[in-house]
Amino acid sequence: MLVATFAAVLPDRLAWYLAGPALGLLVVGFFMVVNQPLGATGAYVETYKTVVREPGAVTWRMFYFLGIPIGGLVAIAMKDDGFVRRSGYDALRNEMSLGTTALVVLVGAVVMGYGARMAGGCTSGHGICGTAQRSPASWVATCTFMGAAVVTTLVIRVISGGAI
Amino acid sequence: MKPSTAHKFVGLLFGAGFGFVLAAANLHEYDTIHRMLRLEEIDVFLLMGGAIGTSLPLLWWLERRRAHTALGGPLRLSRSQPRREHVIGGALFGTGWAVSGTCPAPALVMFASGAGLAAVTILGLFLGLNLRAAHLRRTDGAATAADGEHREVVVGR
Repeated sequence: MLVATFAAVLPDRLAWYLAGPALGLLVVGFFMVVNQPLGATGAYVETYKTVVREPGAVTWRMFYFLGIPIGGLVAIAMKDDGFVRRSGYDALRNEMSLGTTALVVLVGAVVMGYGARMAGGCTSGHGICGTAQRSPASWVATCTFMGAAVVTTLVIRVISGGAI
Repeated sequence: MKPSTAHKFVGLLFGAGFGFVLAAANLHEYDTIHRMLRLEEIDVFLLMGGAIGTSLPLLWWLERRRAHTALGGPLRLSRSQPRREHVIGGALFGTGWAVSGTCPAPALVMFASGAGLAAVTILGLFLGLNLRAAHLRRTDGAATAADGEHREVVVGR
């Protein structure tokens, strides 16, 4: 019902020249309210600390963590075809079994998480917030992960014979 | 309203805003990220450029004006010099990102969109983040100075 009410308010895909500046304004807004970068890695870390009741956990960051899928769900519901169009990991599933896909995705995510904590930020923390603060370390981290991701994708493409 | 309640509300609001934009631009889809990393489509690069191009000058201007934040005192941006952790960590992050086709925030939206396998990604992220923290505890390593997060993510203690 809710889905039907909201349907087709959002285009199939919001254009980069609208989504980009919107993201930039959210980053500035977050700074102007709580004086913090709008980074996702920190939200994961503080959410984990909150859940295991580690002393010194920044508990309110868990609300930020929870807000991300909620906002995502609202946007998806506002698209013309609602929940139908998501592809998820279909591209991988078409080439591999469910077990293999899960294993590949898990290993990738562990490496990604380890690297994010080592570098001190991810695509949002370094890639947008850090670069926007004009931090040399963030520019280096961002260029490194962008380059590494493009090269890895090329390697995956070669290994899979162009299938993935 | 107590400060912590205000923070929770602001966190939820900005988290939802962030998730909304990610989903609206289809950044939670494996295919969008994969097409970007295969260099078949320039949109996501432009989107990131648009985000930086909007926030960088605004933050610069606000910093020069010595702006005051609503709940966090005077605006304080942080900058640091690159260290090897930024390069090695960045390379690992980029590699994992390409394999799993989504990064930390979009993975949450991906799961919300009904892609059950994204739960594996989220689990793996928590594992990886904690592996690094455990490694630092063992080696008595110093915290990484990270401009994205470094005011709250103090690791290695």
